[in-house]
Amino acid sequence: MALLQRPFFVLLLVLTHQFMQYWIAFGSVNEEGQKQEEEFNEELLLKPLPDRKVLAHFHFQSSAPPSTSNGRHHHIFPKAISQLVQKFRVKEMELSFTQGRWNYESWGGFDPIPSSNAKPPGVELWAVFDVPQHQIDASWQNLTHTLSGLFCASINFLESTTTYSAPEWSFPPASGNLRYGTLPREAVCTENLTPWLKLLPCRDKAGIAVLLDRPSIYRGFYHSQRLHLTSTGSGSEGMVSGIILEQTLTVVLQPNSQRAGMAYASERHIQPSWSLTSIFGKQVSGTCVLAKSSNVYLLLDRGLVAELEHLHKENEKSAENGFTSQNFWTKPSFELSADPDRIFIEENSLHSKGSSVLYKFQVEKYSESEPFDLSLTWKIPVVWLSQQAPLHASRFLMGSGNERGAIAISLKSTQLSEGFMGANADDERCDLQVNVFQVVPWYVKVYFHSLQVFVNQQPKAISDIIEKIHVSPSKDKVSPGVMEMVLKLPCKVNSAALTIEFDKGFLHIDEYPPDANQGFDIPSAIISFPNFHASMIFLKDDSVNKSPLLSKFQEKSPVMSYTEALLVPLTTPDFSMPYNVITITCTVFALYFGSLLNVLRRRVAEEERFLKEKAAKKTGRLSLLLSKLSAKLRGAWNEGSLRVS
Amino acid sequence: MATFINFKALVQLLLLPCLLLCSSIAYNSSSVKATMHTNNWAVLVCTSRFWFNYRHMANTLSLYRTVKRLGIPDERIILMLADDMACNTRNKYPAQVFNNENHRLNLYGDNVEVDYRGYEVTVENFLRVLTGRHETAVPRSKRLLSDEGSHILLYMTGHGGDEFLKFQDSEELQSHDLADAVKQMKEKHRFKELLIMVDTCQAATLFNQLQSPGVLAIGSSMKGENSYSHHLDSDVGVSVVDRFTYYTLAFFERLNIYDNASLSSLFSSYNPSTLMSTAYYRRDLYQRRLEEVPVTNFFGSVMETIHTDAAYKALSRKISDRSESQISLDQSIHREERRMLININVCDEIHDVSTEGQEDDSKCPWSAFYRKMQKIENVDSLVNYGLVAMLPFLVFSTWLFH
Repeated sequence: MALLQRPFFVLLLVLTHQFMQYWIAFGSVNEEGQKQEEEFNEELLLKPLPDRKVLAHFHFQSSAPPSTSNGRHHHIFPKAISQLVQKFRVKEMELSFTQGRWNYESWGGFDPIPSSNAKPPGVELWAVFDVPQHQIDASWQNLTHTLSGLFCASINFLESTTTYSAPEWSFPPASGNLRYGTLPREAVCTENLTPWLKLLPCRDKAGIAVLLDRPSIYRGFYHSQRLHLTSTGSGSEGMVSGIILEQTLTVVLQPNSQRAGMAYASERHIQPSWSLTSIFGKQVSGTCVLAKSSNVYLLLDRGLVAELEHLHKENEKSAENGFTSQNFWTKPSFELSADPDRIFIEENSLHSKGSSVLYKFQVEKYSESEPFDLSLTWKIPVVWLSQQAPLHASRFLMGSGNERGAIAISLKSTQLSEGFMGANADDERCDLQVNVFQVVPWYVKVYFHSLQVFVNQQPKAISDIIEKIHVSPSKDKVSPGVMEMVLKLPCKVNSAALTIEFDKGFLHIDEYPPDANQGFDIPSAIISFPNFHASMIFLKDDSVNKSPLLSKFQEKSPVMSYTEALLVPLTTPDFSMPYNVITITCTVFALYFGSLLNVLRRRVAEEERFLKEKAAKKTGRLSLLLSKLSAKLRGAWNEGSLRVS
Repeated sequence: MATFINFKALVQLLLLPCLLLCSSIAYNSSSVKATMHTNNWAVLVCTSRFWFNYRHMANTLSLYRTVKRLGIPDERIILMLADDMACNTRNKYPAQVFNNENHRLNLYGDNVEVDYRGYEVTVENFLRVLTGRHETAVPRSKRLLSDEGSHILLYMTGHGGDEFLKFQDSEELQSHDLADAVKQMKEKHRFKELLIMVDTCQAATLFNQLQSPGVLAIGSSMKGENSYSHHLDSDVGVSVVDRFTYYTLAFFERLNIYDNASLSSLFSSYNPSTLMSTAYYRRDLYQRRLEEVPVTNFFGSVMETIHTDAAYKALSRKISDRSESQISLDQSIHREERRMLININVCDEIHDVSTEGQEDDSKCPWSAFYRKMQKIENVDSLVNYGLVAMLPFLVFSTWLFH
């Protein structure tokens, strides 16, 4: 028996030992996980645009790892944001402030930058909550108030159920716990940027954020300030979830070209040269010391690179010299003031147009004495086109008058994207999937039965084109109308259009805004192409993965575009009318009753007598009182005496 | 004889309610006055929408800059701007607002915090801010979290008229609304002293209904007068500042945070011929002498702290006499007055503890009297007797005037 027990005991020992080892190993891993530090990265991407403008895209990323500590102490990560995430249990949230409209035609619509950073004008907010279904609305409402306090904006107007909606599946991070709301007319200015900058560890005092000079940013054609946060679920109860906060600012600026050469006709097409000082009026003098990495990138997009390569080859041919292997980026047709630390070439075989090129500059090499001021000088004129989304979407109003109208969404094929479609265009049953998401305020009463679809100017049966549709009609003063659609268009479509009719409703007199005559906004519709992914993959080694901006570019996000916000003129009452009516009525009443009472009550004879008396003795009030008193007393005395007698 | 006694008792009874009333008033006012001035708040409101009202926003932002410069921090300033002028598409200078042709000073700066803007600037929100009656979700930055030791500057500009101020060209704030809100603030101990500064046409009429003590009001113009803009900036295309605010700023630009200029020097700096209107001051509700009140009492900031032994337990009223020795008061005259009032409080407290404490009678005649009264009768019967005593007066007067 003892002999039998012994091996068993040994086995047990071995097993426990192994288990312990695992335990220890696991524990150490866990500890390592906890020791992950809070990180901050700052990056700036500059990109020349075809229409002589420059795109500057600031990307700041702070991350806080999950921790077990009760009540977290942050070193770099903004406390306000982590409190907000903990309190409202936000899983994912995006808030953007935008002024101006992204010009999809000339600034492109296919890159990761426009599909995730081109935003509708005004404020857009969406959030996914990690709370039970019935608490979502309450969380949303509290979140809007908190954000409005944090960012000095009237985001709290999104609190009302008439302004936000819950898209089911057409909005990309679709899930049941999503709420989406926009304020198309919200002003965006310094007071919104300042609190946004205060979330950065160095604010705008050091590092790349120094460039954010308010007057130059707001002079731009487009600026969009975005805050995206994702909380990485912790799983276990006691853990505080980790948060990744991504702050981006996208501006499109016009470099003021002061070249004398502009006058010459031959140099008309030459792109304007620019530098950081000429765009922002400032230069970078060193990194933010708290940042893990601090880089500036210059991106030349596919179209530009292809054009430059073409020019390069032509040059070589004309020169007819033997150097053929030389690439254009080692001897480019433009000059950079600083030598790039690294050059990335996009690895993307899908695109026939060629691949984009990225120049990397490390800011830490520069200092106060030698500030970083990147400048780009073009030597030869170059013309190129940006890459477009498969379809260009625009939306407009039809009809006239204050009673009814129609909304039309028109989708036009961009010839440039044929290359992408070419891959599967041979297929007879090739479909182009388009998702449409549109929110309409309740006072624009949309008739969903009146939906019409036109493909290549030919009316089509709805069932042929619309694969899936979800409609939640608006309720007066309660909820907006939401329309979600999946369209299946043939690949070779030239144009498609959707129209839907509406009646204009009436608001209560108190509900009109002070500038009601300006009209009412219908928020932008979202058109997304789920089969097309905007991603740019640069070298797949680890050095790139450390850069949040480049890893962001590698993410496969569907191509998205926003349509214009529409302005619907509604019938506005004459606001002074109630006042006028009340005044007139009161006057009439007063005149009528006043004169009537006067006639009824007046005693002419008595008045005359009174006047005579008054004329007779013009005495003061006190003396009158005294005389009255004496008269009374005398009378009483007289009465008493009479009684006595 | 019986009638004589009755008469005596009657007179006594008649006197009692009056005395009680007086003592209670003294008691109340003393409890308010005895609190120290511990913090400063500013509520700056621009009520006008639309681009051509640029000057109103410039007025408000100039005041914002001034109070910030003189030490009131952003979290104690509630700034309400009814429209966006800085990033307006008509503004040739984006993210900049100027109050002078010379464009030397960008009022918008890099660090402006606008708490209420655009459609949020309504009469409702304004009154909510003043009275502190917000929804629970409203963040702290949008609340006026003042207390009984606060000096509040309330600056309003816009288009006004006889006893009203227009908000966004669609609503009006009436002088009654303002007076009611201020009264409510007083009741809720939301301020110690309040300076209302209004730059509108007929600004003086807005103060007509005010009746709360501790309120001082300055208006840019009298009834029937207009307030005019100062000058036009041909680059911006509109008038950039109003006269009253312009000269107010001219006064403040000469000051720094340590200056001791008094409110009366501010008031006397307004010249009707340059203002083209008559600046109006309502000071009958304000107890202190204006010559002794520095402007920084409202436009600057004090950071006095009260040391308490226990957290949240001690009332400021009880604290005040303990901390009195280490507080530097604004004026020595005021200190005397305050000491007396504090003593009254001390007596009251003693009375609360032991009803038989008579040793302070000489110091506190009111409370001693009050105590005596309480010993004689209870209050309800006193009131009843008082009412009954009113009857003969009534009978007498009707007989007299019949």
